[in-house]
Amino acid sequence: MRRSRFPFIVTMAVLFFFYLPIIILIVNSFNASRFESGWQGFSLMWYKRLFHEPEIWRAARNSLLIAAAATAVSLVIGTTAAIALHRFARSRLQRFHFGLVYTPLVVPEILMGISLLMLFVTAGVELGLFTIFLAHVTFCISFVAMTVLARLQDFDESIVEAAQDLGAGWWATTRRVLLPMLLPGLIAGGLLAFTLSIDDFVITFFVAGPGSTTLPIRVYSMIKYGSPPLINALSTILLVLTFTAVAASQRLSRSRH
Amino acid sequence: MSEFLEFRNVSKRFGAIQAVDGVSLGIKKGEFFSLLGPSGCGKTTMLRLAAGFEYPDTGQVILDGADITDLSPNKRKVNTIFQSYALFPHLNVWENIAFGLRVAKRSKRDIETEVEAMLRLIRMGDQAGKKPDQLSGGQKQRVAIARALINKPQVLLLDEPLAALDLKLRQRMLIELDMIHDQVGITFLYVTHDQGEAMSLSDRIAVMDSGRIEQVGSPAEIYETPRTSFVAAFIGDTNFLEGEVTGLVESEYCQVKIADIPGVICFNDKSMKPGNPVYLSIRPEKIHISRDRPEESRLRNIVPAVVEDMIYLGSTTKYWVRTHGLRVQVLRQHFRFFLDEKPIRWNDDVWIWWHGDDGFMLDRYRAVDEHLVALPPRKVGEPEDNNEKP
Amino acid sequence: MKRESRQKVRESLVSFPSLFWLSLFFIVPTLFVFAIALKPANPYGGIGSGWTWDNLRSLVNPNYLAVAWRTLWISVLSAAVCIVLATPIGYYLARVTARWKGFFLMLIIVPFWTNFLIRIFAWKVLLHPEGAIKKALAFSGLIGPQTSLLYNAGAVVLVTVYTFLPFTILPIYAAAEKFDFQLLEAARDLGAKRLQAFAKVFLPGIRRGLITAVLFVFIPALGSYVIPDIVGGPSGEMIGNKIAQRVFVDRNLPQASALSIVLILSVLAPLVTVLVLQRKRDKPESLL
Repeated sequence: MRRSRFPFIVTMAVLFFFYLPIIILIVNSFNASRFESGWQGFSLMWYKRLFHEPEIWRAARNSLLIAAAATAVSLVIGTTAAIALHRFARSRLQRFHFGLVYTPLVVPEILMGISLLMLFVTAGVELGLFTIFLAHVTFCISFVAMTVLARLQDFDESIVEAAQDLGAGWWATTRRVLLPMLLPGLIAGGLLAFTLSIDDFVITFFVAGPGSTTLPIRVYSMIKYGSPPLINALSTILLVLTFTAVAASQRLSRSRH
Repeated sequence: MSEFLEFRNVSKRFGAIQAVDGVSLGIKKGEFFSLLGPSGCGKTTMLRLAAGFEYPDTGQVILDGADITDLSPNKRKVNTIFQSYALFPHLNVWENIAFGLRVAKRSKRDIETEVEAMLRLIRMGDQAGKKPDQLSGGQKQRVAIARALINKPQVLLLDEPLAALDLKLRQRMLIELDMIHDQVGITFLYVTHDQGEAMSLSDRIAVMDSGRIEQVGSPAEIYETPRTSFVAAFIGDTNFLEGEVTGLVESEYCQVKIADIPGVICFNDKSMKPGNPVYLSIRPEKIHISRDRPEESRLRNIVPAVVEDMIYLGSTTKYWVRTHGLRVQVLRQHFRFFLDEKPIRWNDDVWIWWHGDDGFMLDRYRAVDEHLVALPPRKVGEPEDNNEKP
Repeated sequence: MKRESRQKVRESLVSFPSLFWLSLFFIVPTLFVFAIALKPANPYGGIGSGWTWDNLRSLVNPNYLAVAWRTLWISVLSAAVCIVLATPIGYYLARVTARWKGFFLMLIIVPFWTNFLIRIFAWKVLLHPEGAIKKALAFSGLIGPQTSLLYNAGAVVLVTVYTFLPFTILPIYAAAEKFDFQLLEAARDLGAKRLQAFAKVFLPGIRRGLITAVLFVFIPALGSYVIPDIVGGPSGEMIGNKIAQRVFVDRNLPQASALSIVLILSVLAPLVTVLVLQRKRDKPESLL
């Protein structure tokens, strides 16, 4: 049977659509022109400028700090959630628990942002890095839990039974079998949480206070009020960083096998 | 000898399914005991009750005189060989075998000597550093055995351990399992749906169906004197003939009227009375077939028949003959090839005969069993159940 | 029994951290939104005392209704475009050899490692009056020199599609991967034309993937805020923008809460519909 070329053509067109804006952005970051009106020669001036913007560096530091803390906490809470959801899957409590973990994944970010803002305002918590951290942990828990749960569900159930059968108690089973086998899932969940936290704008914007600027908030205000070429340069740097991080983590996970 | 592992009136229900239904069973020390039955008969649940992965709704599990019903799996001196082997994928062969000792916090030197000994037992000393996914099915199987045996269990539980292997390997592992059992001398509880495995390995077999035990006995007892039609049909092939007891012959035999064959003689081990409706079960290989009429003899049943279908199977030929409106399956061994013998063909008139001791009477026949009875094929060449025989 | 109660204790211990955290930071805040919508605002940007229906009543306002309507059609249109594009891609990815499959999947995911804001910004640059697309289109005479590509509802749809397309491709691809393509051959063999086979056999076969894909665009699109904020302009405003304006511009939290309730309900509606429909269709699976 001859196959239609149509799906192939759509795929290629969409890939072009995906890459076009990003490529133009990267190219423009090396453009000496202040506006996007045309190519005026290769230049690294925007990158040099970027280094003299202390606010960007402060925002980056805030972002890293929050991402690291949110990843650590959400990894612990998300993993215990996944273990509970997996081990006691049939109980009524876990059905509620699953709903509770799952819903934040489908709720639009703005709703989570505004509801957390209402909580903090009512409770009189001062908005700042701490409230951002609390918000980030909240949405990261669900992503970590789902990643780890998927990994748990791939397990051969009898492996846990085998450990118990060989004399391992609850703690020994968890430490010697469950956690080591979960490690790739934990790494994946952790990376996901870290990226989500570093990237989040909407929720952060609602619960951030004065002086608690994160990198995405800084980027947003630059988009709104700043100079486009600077953003091009910053985006390119971020792009390269993410690429290396993802490539490294993939190589790492491949070599583990 | 008293019972070593004992189930006392044990029941277990999963939702609407009664997996184990009031089973009492005793297994002796050092015995190789098999639970045999079709899938869903409750045999795996029995094994999981012994391992502690499930707890019975009612009843007790006793091991070496102690009640272990409520003991968690890690506190029982029993170990399991899982159907999927369940080797720890993140540990290599050596670490997999050492797992039980490490969890028990044994000294480093002890662990080393015992793991080395186990590696020798399973002849895998040179594979110690490999991860499970680098091993073949048979090797995984051996590691699983070593890992379970190193804990010196009082009972080794084996859950269809050969099911995942191909035929050749299965036969080799069968011999190996038998050898290991002889060497270590511990009690084996073996769960399988394969009667060939159960027959060749076991000292005793319990045949299970629908959560109950149908019969317990040595392989020969189970095959030769099945107590129920289920056992007769599940183990090997058999003919089921419906009839009624019409009279007693001497004290040990009786006459059965089957269709319009008047006086079929059968051993009466169940002390049936005249008027009792029965099922007569005769194994195909116990029936003789010949073109010539055999000599009359005491306790010999001789019936004329017509060949309807036949299948040549190499070492044997299977015939379906019709007699008095009944279809009867006959299995004939080829002893010698007589060049001058005229072979039996379709539509030939033949005689079939069997000894009164070779049939057995069953008083119960359930419709449920029907799918297990090897019904004669409607037409020649139809695929049929090839029940392996011991 | 002792054994069972020990299990219960263990279960509650392991479940406690997430149950506690998500109750405190997810359930309670949502309840607060409902409560605060019934509170008056105070002049200092906080929440006044007493209770009032005013916030909810003020929702019936032609301005809000227009925004709500726009939010709905932008979301529907974006979801439709995503499905139309993602289905052939999912089909293609499921049929291509394993090596190419990995390569294409990678190509699809990679652009989305970039920050969400940067992707939107890249489009702002492209659609900008000085940008490449505008110049090309104006040069070819397709649009007049005065036509603006930026700051309208069309730009919002475009960027929404760009942002959520990968999230529709992946579930459709996952469903197509499990699809037995011999069924298509069987359909052709039985006389179906290529498109008939596609519509009557393939699409029903990947139904679940399609539903997931629709929800993956439609729900976040309903709650869009940044996309219309950056490329939408006043004629591309959505509910999300209104919520943000009430929070950041007028500092009227009760009013923002009332708008959020509208959004919560409109997000729940499609979710509940899908759940109910699925429960009706495949009873046994719904037990899971």
